[in-house]
Amino acid sequence: MVGIVLVSHSFELARGLAALTSQLAGNEVHVEPAGGGPNGSLGTTDDTVRSAIARADCGQGVVVLADLGSSILTVRHLLEEDRGNGHVRLVDAPFVEGAIAAAVMSSAGQGLEDVVRAAEEARGARKF
Amino acid sequence: MAPENSEVRVALPSTVALHARPAANFVRTAMRFRSRLTVAVDGKVADAKSILAVLALGATGGTVLRLSAEGEDAPAALDALAACVTGLLE
Repeated sequence: MVGIVLVSHSFELARGLAALTSQLAGNEVHVEPAGGGPNGSLGTTDDTVRSAIARADCGQGVVVLADLGSSILTVRHLLEEDRGNGHVRLVDAPFVEGAIAAAVMSSAGQGLEDVVRAAEEARGARKF
Repeated sequence: MAPENSEVRVALPSTVALHARPAANFVRTAMRFRSRLTVAVDGKVADAKSILAVLALGATGGTVLRLSAEGEDAPAALDALAACVTGLLE
């Protein structure tokens, strides 16, 4: 299944969203939080994101969602450094809705392109 | 030959809202089929394969859902979706 990585400035925000997302998607989808800076501060670190991507990767691709601002920069920096083959993808999507849409799509056994599309389509989703 | 466009009405179990885990189970069932599938409640229509659209319906326990299917496997999709709805657990 396609793995999901949730990058936030806040450890708690990433952890909480991972828990919510896993409740909907089930345990088969690897949803990995990557939140917070050194010593419990707000921020993001390369190491936290890199290890979350490694944990999420089951060989079928990884979709990365980030909260805002420098979280995006951290992920971009890592992906450029890794010069990967495109199997790790940062998507431009709302954090909560994008994570849920991506993870449920992955839990149905869909591939990386479908999971990316589900996350991106969340930009236009209404809550009610 | 079964019709390619069909519709059924089915009620959610009285204690199960179409939210969180039940909604995800519903959407995963819909994704097994090729047909275009929709679920409608009180005039609101959602793509049955979109978790965000299904959650936005806000369907509460006991609500009657109108399930529609369009496509080659429409009858099988509706059978499966209706069975999924009646069997949903919290």
